[in-house]
Amino acid sequence: MLRGIWQLRAGKLSVLFLSVIILLAIFGPALAPYDPLVGTDHVLADPSAQHWLGTDYLGRDVLSRILAGSTISVLGSVQVAVIALFVGAIPGILSVYLGRTFEWLTLRLVDTLIALPFLVFAVAVTALLGNGIPQAMLVVGVMVSPAFYRVARAAALTISRSQYVEAAILSGASIGWIVRKHVWAKILPAIAITLANTMGTGFVVVSSLTFLGIGVQPPAPTWGGVLASDLGYLNFRPYAPLFTTVLIVLTVLAFNLLADVIRDVSGESGRALLIRREKKRGRTARQTSATIPPTPHGDPQ
Amino acid sequence: MASIHTERETLAYGGASAGLSSRWAVARSTLALAFRSIIVFVTVFFLATLLTFALQGLSGLSPAHLQLSESATPEAIAALEHEWGLDLPLWQQYLNWFGGIVQGDLGRSWYNGADISLLLTSRAAISLSIAGLALLIGVTLGAVLGITAAKFQTTWIDRAITTFTTFVSVLPPFVVGIGLVAIFAVWFNWFPSAGYVPLDRGGLGPWLSHIWLPSLALSMEAVADIARQLRVGLIQASRENYVTGALVRGLSSERIFWGHVLRNGSGPALTMLGMKFPNLIGGAVVTEAVFGLAGYGRFAADSASRGDVPAVQGVLVLAIVLVVAFNLLVNLLLVRLSPASARGI
Repeated sequence: MLRGIWQLRAGKLSVLFLSVIILLAIFGPALAPYDPLVGTDHVLADPSAQHWLGTDYLGRDVLSRILAGSTISVLGSVQVAVIALFVGAIPGILSVYLGRTFEWLTLRLVDTLIALPFLVFAVAVTALLGNGIPQAMLVVGVMVSPAFYRVARAAALTISRSQYVEAAILSGASIGWIVRKHVWAKILPAIAITLANTMGTGFVVVSSLTFLGIGVQPPAPTWGGVLASDLGYLNFRPYAPLFTTVLIVLTVLAFNLLADVIRDVSGESGRALLIRREKKRGRTARQTSATIPPTPHGDPQ
Repeated sequence: MASIHTERETLAYGGASAGLSSRWAVARSTLALAFRSIIVFVTVFFLATLLTFALQGLSGLSPAHLQLSESATPEAIAALEHEWGLDLPLWQQYLNWFGGIVQGDLGRSWYNGADISLLLTSRAAISLSIAGLALLIGVTLGAVLGITAAKFQTTWIDRAITTFTTFVSVLPPFVVGIGLVAIFAVWFNWFPSAGYVPLDRGGLGPWLSHIWLPSLALSMEAVADIARQLRVGLIQASRENYVTGALVRGLSSERIFWGHVLRNGSGPALTMLGMKFPNLIGGAVVTEAVFGLAGYGRFAADSASRGDVPAVQGVLVLAIVLVVAFNLLVNLLLVRLSPASARGI
């Protein structure tokens, strides 16, 4: 599967771009040429040789703030996706095997989580729980977990009805063994697609929250925070938000592209790819809880 | 328009001779479905309010944090909690709170003791103006783009629309908002970049010019989703056998499109609208911040950072009620449009 992603041009592009972004998230703070927290007298300066992206209203170097802020902005979305994976996929698989009460309860919980107006809840709950990064990640992670619940449940449903699982049960295999041996292997592509999509969604949500100043305390640099401070001084530097917005949009695009590429190559051959494309074309939004839902950001067709 | 459905139904129930009994069966199953969907919506509402109520316990906050300073004695705290009814058992607190909600009473703020329903009304007017206009833009523009793409499928028009919707769907609302402010407010200076004028204060013109840009920013995601779902739904519906049948019987292609294909192909887009409505209600938070509006998102964020739990709960309950009501409406519309869709609640 990994080789397949690399062979497609879109796959190569998104993987390369995301690698750069993730390297930025790890080493960005060390690369920052100036202290992102200390202001100077050069307030709202235009881009120059000293300050490649200019300075903000406190005279802080914008490039340094973007570099230093990449850690929270990018790694945050990875954390969100991992939390969502565990919170969503495990009950999703268990819902098929643990009886009707558990199934009904988790299905209704998922309905509820989907019905909740996402950002209002994320903002309110994070701020109520103490307004820190861990709280924000936890809240957002739980709120995007339904995507994983549905994917895992759909896969587990099809597998639980297949004959080789029946054979395994007849020969006395335990539920845990079947899940480890058969279910995980089958749902891995679906999980990978949802993971990439969720990172994209998580990235947007984390950027939105930091833009609102939720989850971080003011002087700490984030991409959303840089945008918010640019917005206040748009009359002086109208081009200022351009770089940050392009960075954010490209990152979201790369995550979505990656999800698409994984979907395309997760079949074994080119023929599978064609069939998948055909199926994709015939897909509709009318889905019950048992089928794979359109993700919050959809997938570009 | 209804002919195609009655034809299908009578076919399904074994010809015209079974007309009356089949109609009764349809009515009965519709009732059963309505009942089932109401159960689902009631459960969702109940669970959502339960989660909202649980926030108080999870946050560990109490009015004592807001109203008593550091000199608070245990007796003073206990007295205050008694005054707010926080010494009652949890289930009783929930019942009191829930009983209030049902009557439209959201309780009083811990911060200044004001009636939250009153505090919320003027804020919600701002947010709901934006969300409402965004919904209108989303449905209209989305429908126009989706129908155009489907009618001109595989031409450059279709490709251009698809590229546009794909691109727009990945843009976060605050990015769109900042772009709109930079272009239309700062550069062209056509619209104000911030602020709000109530409808009854300044009339239609100023009201619209203030909420136009935020609504546009908020609507983009809905536009993209509706256009894409509608395009796929319409193309799919136009490949159905009954379209060929209608063509053979000599109906004009325009009549087939507007009468049959549109009716049968718009279900997915409607469902998508119902699913995306929470985003519209929730996304208002970010749009408000971009355009400096004091709507309920700002109210929720401010109240939350003050630790004013009942005020936050009030905003969340309002949002939940809106989402549940809207989805109920969408479901009814779906059943009306195509009875078969009622099976897939």
